[in-house]
Amino acid sequence: MASQLGLKSRIASTTSLGKIFNAQEMIASSHIAKARTVALNAKPYSDAIFDAVQALAAHTEIDHPIVKSTEHNPRVAVLALTSDRGMAGAYTSSIIRETESLLARLDKVGKQPLLYVYGRRGVSYYRYRNRKIAATWEGDTDQPGAETAREIADRLLEDYMKTAAQGGVSELYIVFTEFVNMVVQKVRVLRMLPVELVRNSDQKADPVANVTVEPVENDKSENGAASSVAATVPGDVTSVAKTDQTSPLYTFEPNVAKVLDAILPKYVQSRIHECLLTAAASETASRQNAMHTATDNANNLIDTLTRQLNASRQASITQELTEIISSADALNKEEE
Amino acid sequence: MAGSTMKVNIVASDRPLWTGEAKSVSIPASEGGMGLLPDHEPILTVIDKGTVSAIDVDGNRHSFEVTDGFASFDSNSLTVAVETGVDTKKDPTATAD
Repeated sequence: MASQLGLKSRIASTTSLGKIFNAQEMIASSHIAKARTVALNAKPYSDAIFDAVQALAAHTEIDHPIVKSTEHNPRVAVLALTSDRGMAGAYTSSIIRETESLLARLDKVGKQPLLYVYGRRGVSYYRYRNRKIAATWEGDTDQPGAETAREIADRLLEDYMKTAAQGGVSELYIVFTEFVNMVVQKVRVLRMLPVELVRNSDQKADPVANVTVEPVENDKSENGAASSVAATVPGDVTSVAKTDQTSPLYTFEPNVAKVLDAILPKYVQSRIHECLLTAAASETASRQNAMHTATDNANNLIDTLTRQLNASRQASITQELTEIISSADALNKEEE
Repeated sequence: MAGSTMKVNIVASDRPLWTGEAKSVSIPASEGGMGLLPDHEPILTVIDKGTVSAIDVDGNRHSFEVTDGFASFDSNSLTVAVETGVDTKKDPTATAD
């Protein structure tokens, strides 16, 4: 049995760790409210962009590189959204696991994936392994602002718009964690570019008014191993409910091409911002869960250790008493 | 008359700026300043850096310094979506960040 001194110091250190875990848990729960506010504030903008893209899709034949890739180019971009700090359970490691399996899948079909990483943990993971990274961003993974989304979107769109000869990419996949609820967060793979606009012509009424904007899910999930963790994104299909209403005739200023040039990149940017926000909410939630479990574990450990300490103290008292009594007995016998 | 006011919704990429009924709105469209009155024809236009200002039903002016974005007008409702926007009057309710 460990010495009493040893047990005491273990109890003390576990207590102070428990306090840290508890504090982290409380910080995480206070951040969740903030993450929700940020997401709510960004919602009207992404709604407005979505409506505008809908209007565009309904009134024009969209012919823009963002919507369909024109040339054959095996290079594709993969953006992994990880966290800046640890203490978030399996958050970053699940993202990395899914990214690795996506990279392997892309490799297998003859693509050349380029890696883009957001979040210090992911960056240091790949740097340590000397992996080639095309670009990295760090900071504010738990509360990403519109500026961060703009930086990322600008860089990725720039690479996307380049030709193959210039080192451009033809597709963009995003690996991020979707916030389902406080307990469940799922790793998702989303194909962001090229944006796929689907017309639902099978619906009644005015078919032109029914547009489904569907950034198509990754369809190469023949690798079933990871697909239990990382389902693809069918929930991303958003259909329009304006069935009974004929779309008004729009005027586009200065002209349709310019409007497309202006709006489609913004649409992509706002989609990336959405991914960042849901990833941030997931990070905070998984940090809160991890810290909650850690606090519970620390408390259990303290209980066990305290019991051991008490037992060993009692054992030593019993031993001392036995010794005293037996020596007293021995003395009494000598006197007789 | 139904056309005396229109719904206006001005949003920046990180937060909503102003929502309400307005009698007229002027926007810095890419082809030059544009004024919109209620019942304008449906339009989707790109906007540049400049000032968006809306005059509400009480005649108060709400102005915002904005950077690029777009505006769309449809069924008497105007949506202005911009990258960044700052209230020029520093109205505390609109600029609360």
